[in-house]
Amino acid sequence: MDESVESPFQLDTRGEFSFPENHKYDAGYGLTEATIDYICDAKGEPDWLREFRKEALRKFNEMPMPYHWAPEGIRNVDFDSFRYYLSHGTTPRKSWDEVPDEVKRTFERLGVPEQERAFLAGVDAQYDSETAYNNMREELSKQGVIFVNSTEGLKEYEHIFRPWFGKVIPVGDNKFSALNHAAFSGGSFIYVPKGVKLQQPLQAYFRINSANMGQFERTLIIADEGAEIMYMEGCTAPMYDSSTLHSGVVELVALKGAKIQYVTVQNWATNVYNLVIQRGLAMEDAEIRWIDCNLGSGLTMKYPAVVLQGRRARGEVVSISLAHDGQVQDTGARMIHAAPETTSNIVAKSISIGQGRASYRGEVTVLKGMQGCKNNTECDALLINAASRTDTYPAITVNGNASAVQHEASVSQVDEEMLFYLQQRGLTRAQAMSLAVNGFINDLVKEFPMEYSVELRRLIDLEMEDSIG
Amino acid sequence: MDFPQNMSMEEAFALAEAEAKLQQALNESRERFDQAALPDRLNEDWRFGRPHRHAAALAELFDTPSCGEARVLRAGECAVPVSAEDDDLRQTEMLMPTIGSDALLGLHLQQFGAGYALYIEEDTKEPIVLEYSTDSFYAPSTYIMVAPGVKAEIEERHTGNAAESALFATRNIHVAEGAQLRVSLRSSGFARHMSITNIQNLGGRVSHLTQHSSNAWTREETVAEIYAAGEGTETRLYSANRLTGSEVLDQHTRQVHHVGGAASDLLYKNVVDDSATAVFAGNIYVAPGAHHTDAYQSNRNMLLSEKATIHSLPGLEILADKVRCSHGSASAPMDEEQLFYLLSRGIPRQEALQLVAEGFLADATNRFYAAETND
Repeated sequence: MDESVESPFQLDTRGEFSFPENHKYDAGYGLTEATIDYICDAKGEPDWLREFRKEALRKFNEMPMPYHWAPEGIRNVDFDSFRYYLSHGTTPRKSWDEVPDEVKRTFERLGVPEQERAFLAGVDAQYDSETAYNNMREELSKQGVIFVNSTEGLKEYEHIFRPWFGKVIPVGDNKFSALNHAAFSGGSFIYVPKGVKLQQPLQAYFRINSANMGQFERTLIIADEGAEIMYMEGCTAPMYDSSTLHSGVVELVALKGAKIQYVTVQNWATNVYNLVIQRGLAMEDAEIRWIDCNLGSGLTMKYPAVVLQGRRARGEVVSISLAHDGQVQDTGARMIHAAPETTSNIVAKSISIGQGRASYRGEVTVLKGMQGCKNNTECDALLINAASRTDTYPAITVNGNASAVQHEASVSQVDEEMLFYLQQRGLTRAQAMSLAVNGFINDLVKEFPMEYSVELRRLIDLEMEDSIG
Repeated sequence: MDFPQNMSMEEAFALAEAEAKLQQALNESRERFDQAALPDRLNEDWRFGRPHRHAAALAELFDTPSCGEARVLRAGECAVPVSAEDDDLRQTEMLMPTIGSDALLGLHLQQFGAGYALYIEEDTKEPIVLEYSTDSFYAPSTYIMVAPGVKAEIEERHTGNAAESALFATRNIHVAEGAQLRVSLRSSGFARHMSITNIQNLGGRVSHLTQHSSNAWTREETVAEIYAAGEGTETRLYSANRLTGSEVLDQHTRQVHHVGGAASDLLYKNVVDDSATAVFAGNIYVAPGAHHTDAYQSNRNMLLSEKATIHSLPGLEILADKVRCSHGSASAPMDEEQLFYLLSRGIPRQEALQLVAEGFLADATNRFYAAETND
């Protein structure tokens, strides 16, 4: 590619603002037993949870960092430089009018209330550590749908929440799982009763406002037999000189015949470490789909997983990631075939621009004795500049002679002839590039809900007129 | 150092600089061996099937002296036994890249002195055959240097004669500009067989094939480094193996494109039966600035038993532009239709299975033998 061509993309900068910090609760820097006591006291949590968090902290301190395989940038994460709990108060508001002014203005600038009116079944808006606003359409609560934040979920619905809490992603799964179990706050708890099919998606919005914030939201979604739900999350944070950490845990449970779709559009500022664990458990005939788009953050490590636990369960990951200068998008997928006749599909596309580095890291495992499992993995990478980097690190394990697994990956550039053709028809080089890139990810963008795909196209679109003359 | 009398100032400087670079590289390598620990479970390159246990067992074997037999057939005068006093060859081995086995290479260096160096300056009429065999533990080194424009064909065979035979071989293959080399490695009969191979392609065509049979545990590390651009530079890596019983085959490859405009291809095929395990971990690395590289990598596995296991990790690391690169990995049972076709022609099931498996592997071996040399 011609070196004089600047990146055709502009990052979405609507999240680039912040309000002065005004916290009722501030647990200070670093994570110790005292921090955990502070969080538990602020949230009024029961003793079992306090012990649970402290046990998780012990595990976190014992476990090693994954230096032997993770991208270099993870060495710069300094756990003592983050603030582990900041909030205005622990009770979410049910109406925007009650939400504190600057928080309300934040979400208004991000367009959340409009979207809620337009097409959502419910919204959970998290500001730093706690949910500021949570509301769901009334008819859904009448059907028995539960949509609250994790604190309220553990308090009010302990009988449903606790049996599944930390079951899909155990405390000792890895260091960041232990960290989240010790410090979690915010995130959603959703329960969809038997046979209830949500027509409209539920949405969570995560906002980091404060510098050095560590956000550890925890989401658990349970879809009972035959239920269907789509959940979407969006994330933004302003750019600070110091780094912030986002390390959420998302657990999905799809019981017999249920269907869960989980959509993420991640647009953190580039000073955010985005180290997220997402895993779903799919029982008999259930289906879990992760639709994942990573545009922001300086270092993302995120591998949505599906454990196919019941016969004929289906898992799918659709992933788009875009790495600009200075960004490392280490994304991928994991599929664990733990039951016969399970199928999974992974489609990942990444774009590296300037000095950006996009990596696919994936795992597909067919356990012993499983018959008739199928996996298909495709990952394609597009390199825009000479200095861009792309990597692919798949790990495939197949036991037994009754399953078929295939993986294919390719790396390519935008075809010069295509650019020439478009430029010849009167498009600028930037417009031509934009068209080519949108073409590359077009079939995946279609997988996103309508409102998001429009948004995505806009985000990934070139506003070339401004970037080159 | 001494400079030849007729050398110009510039040449002398260049030579001195090259010498300084070499010394620095050697010092770095010494550090590498000092710091290297034996592979353990956190070593990403020794990840599957607890192979680090075999590493520990191999390290213990180095306590006993290397003992085996080496012979060369049809090599004429180009074959020279490796001597422990040969500093050039020792330096070559010191600079060898490994895939997670620096500590083991360090141990191998301490026993340096067995094996053969082949300096091939004329086309070979018939394949040169190199045979290493042992009934205890043997740690030979092989050096193959093919001069510019020369066509050569070499077969290297490693044979274990006793139940506990072990062999740890290092292989350095150097292909000059315009040279054509077809080289194969066959091993059989070992409790433990490990080979570390480094192919340096300076602008020739090289095809490399490995075939292992009846080894309880085999580890193969192959690093192909490409230093020359142009259509004439081709590096092809093949492997075809049939694993039975509880055999373990642990294969690791790197295709390193230091400069652009060259092509490399890899096809590793395994038929895995009984409770055998096959591991393939490959990587294509395209260095910054190595534009217009064509690199392919493919791992295909046929699983014949419900206790068979495969691990496949085909990796890519691309730091350059205008690269055509792809990799694939597929693992599946035997195609029932092919089997049915043979059965319906009256071929007994066992024989039919054998035929389909052979046909599957022949894809890799045929491509190796189709590579043009000695036309």
